[in-house]
Amino acid sequence: MTETKNLLEIRGLYKSFGSTKANINVDFTLRPGEIKGLIGENGSGKSTLLSQIAGIYGHDAGEMFVKGEPYDPASPLDANRAGIAMVMQELGVIEKLPIAINMYLGRLDRFTTAGVIDRKLLRKEANAVLEKWDLPLFGKNAMPSGAIEHNKIIELARALSVEPDILLLDEITQSLSHNNRDKLYNIMNKFKALGKSVIVITHDIDEMIAIADSITVLRDGEVVGDVVTAETTAEKIRYMMVGREISGDYYRADTAPDFRDEVVLKAEGMTLPGEIEDLSFELHKGEILGFCGLSDSGIHSVGKAIYGLSKLKAGTVHLAADGTRIRNGATALKRKMAYVPKDRDNEALMLHARIVDNATLPSLSIVKSFLDFLSPRKLKKLSNEMIDKLTVKTTGYAQNIDALSGGNKQKVNLGRWLAKDLDVLILDCPTRGVDVGVKAYIYQLMKDAKAQGIAMVLISDELTEVIGMADRLIVMKDGRPVRNIERGDSFTEHSVIEVMI
Amino acid sequence: MLSALSEATNEKQPTLNEKTRTLIFGIGVIIVTVLIFFLFNILTHGVFLEWSNIKILLSQMVWPSFMAWGMTFLFACGYTDLSWGAVVVLGSFATGVFGNAYGLAAAIIAGVVVGSVLVFINFCVFAFTKIPSWIAGISLAMVYEAISVLLKTNEKTGPLVEKALAKDLQFLARLPYSLIILAVGFVIIYFIYNKTSIGFNIRSIGGNPKVATALGVNLKRTLLWVGLITGLLIGVTSYIQESYSGYTTVKTGLTSIFLIFQPLAIALLADIMQKRINVVIAVPICSFLLYAVFNCLTLMHVESGTLQEAMLALFLIVFGIVGQRKVKGVVK
Repeated sequence: MTETKNLLEIRGLYKSFGSTKANINVDFTLRPGEIKGLIGENGSGKSTLLSQIAGIYGHDAGEMFVKGEPYDPASPLDANRAGIAMVMQELGVIEKLPIAINMYLGRLDRFTTAGVIDRKLLRKEANAVLEKWDLPLFGKNAMPSGAIEHNKIIELARALSVEPDILLLDEITQSLSHNNRDKLYNIMNKFKALGKSVIVITHDIDEMIAIADSITVLRDGEVVGDVVTAETTAEKIRYMMVGREISGDYYRADTAPDFRDEVVLKAEGMTLPGEIEDLSFELHKGEILGFCGLSDSGIHSVGKAIYGLSKLKAGTVHLAADGTRIRNGATALKRKMAYVPKDRDNEALMLHARIVDNATLPSLSIVKSFLDFLSPRKLKKLSNEMIDKLTVKTTGYAQNIDALSGGNKQKVNLGRWLAKDLDVLILDCPTRGVDVGVKAYIYQLMKDAKAQGIAMVLISDELTEVIGMADRLIVMKDGRPVRNIERGDSFTEHSVIEVMI
Repeated sequence: MLSALSEATNEKQPTLNEKTRTLIFGIGVIIVTVLIFFLFNILTHGVFLEWSNIKILLSQMVWPSFMAWGMTFLFACGYTDLSWGAVVVLGSFATGVFGNAYGLAAAIIAGVVVGSVLVFINFCVFAFTKIPSWIAGISLAMVYEAISVLLKTNEKTGPLVEKALAKDLQFLARLPYSLIILAVGFVIIYFIYNKTSIGFNIRSIGGNPKVATALGVNLKRTLLWVGLITGLLIGVTSYIQESYSGYTTVKTGLTSIFLIFQPLAIALLADIMQKRINVVIAVPICSFLLYAVFNCLTLMHVESGTLQEAMLALFLIVFGIVGQRKVKGVVK
């Protein structure tokens, strides 16, 4: 039995996946009304720890207590019954089912009599939960929209519908735009006020410091620090995470636009009904063009449209050099363009394939050998280079990609383009789910690419990221570009938010 | 708060605009159907719209509708089962044998039990092994075909055709009984698919099995439910098919798969229409429309063994393409 003042207590937890030790002797406590941050490099075992608390994985050794009682959930439903609910980093919703069903899936029995669901009662209860947490109500048979951010909000509503005492949030903020993040913080504060607790994972250390009462730091599966937020700094957290000093100065130091006059790509009157309205811009050699906006601003449709993956109703995207129209991904790839989408699981990676298959797919032309045979030696070399460069935590290049943590998947997603000779690189939330060390490395790669003259489009929900890296920023609202801001004195979060709202 | 969700959730709500579009779609379908039927009538020199022909059409569409409803569940849970043709053959075979020997009750029970048990066995295989369902389905189809040949061979009656089911046992193939059984089937299926937790669990494992499992939906148990529900549907199909045809042709060399093509075309067409009409309602409508086309072709003396099958294949491809439009990674 443990002291009852802790809502959750974990002692000596171990978890392994084959030879990979995900959690080693983890001790962890959570008090009522506490917002606890959980931070660590990609693959440090954060999500695994939350998954064990949420009943998704069992543990190999150790004990857990909830409100002083032994706790060993056999399933997520077991965890729900104990008052614990989780919003997972990469799960999603079932888009073919109505939102209310999605919220209560697996727990429909309470609305069911003789197998028949009382849909009216279901909707009523779902709306009561949404109302309680100040979320918008929805209509009869409303369906998920499919957008990653909207799905994440439905997942949040689903977790809240459990009426948990402990809410586990695994990198949810990085899927949300600026306005919805504020709303999530309000929900977390309400939790705190009610004496309920939240464990939150985020790679944004500044955000973590702003929202958490205390922070537990994991490194290579072990707890290396447990600090009160008010008594620490971002630098100290970074040091604990990676075991060495990392400069906080990730971003560009210059304060003026710096790119060449040569136009590489032109977009004219791009229109995608309901998503983009009449968007035009020119992208120059060595330029980083940023896009930002609130949810439904359409920024995440821009990347796909530029790369030719969406069929435009009006307008064109073409290369300035020879006027080649970019109508599809094949043309874009052939013309030295690359696209790193935000939704890596559904739009970027072959989840059931190996790292080597994913890493080398865009570069098959350079690993071809005699008579077009793919050289196993070159495939291996290319994959291993990418793994080493981006410090992908893996058992080797032949490991299946779905066995990697979210952040490590993102490293492969981005890293596979690095071997290519590119003219245009489109990045949609490139640092989503990656740790501070890799984040710094990605920004450095962007700076190097910029110096080489590669033109980049940077779409991001992280205002600090676009402000820190872009030469120019297009702020979008309701699918339309509302302001074009150049790097300079007015390039501040405050001024950008003013335009966004 | 959270305008994002508000907009997201409202996106697919039946707004007035959408309701109007659905109404226009419905009226459009009716107008086009009427025009096509008049065209068919002209092409068949007035025979198509004769009541006797309509009666044939209505009787014809019943068994494929039941199998297509089964396929709706199959599609919803994300599995494939190519053995249903062989199951129907064995079920019909049992209907004939037991019906002729012991009467109507035995005919119905034999068909339903054989169909249900075999399909349930299939889903047990899907649930408890990691064999892809389409491979397991083909293997099981060969087993079922072999069993029906074995049973037939033991009787030593020559050709692989079971003797006709007694006429008085075939009443469910005739109007109004065929329409009554269709209506009863429709109510039950509509209810299960749209109103029960089992229906939603089935749709959830097809929608995203990872999410469904993470939220506590028991994958194996749900699959066994699909086996039970579709098994009953295929069992009923077996009896009605035997009643309608009056005999069973034992299939070999996987030719039993041909039996599922027409219901497959119906299910695919219904799948397209479900953007506007509930898929369970769409199945009998599509069944009627599809059989109207084949009926017209027959009346126009188009050969059933070649050109009609080619037409069916064409329908399947066209419906497949239209049905998968805007589905990521399938057809751009």
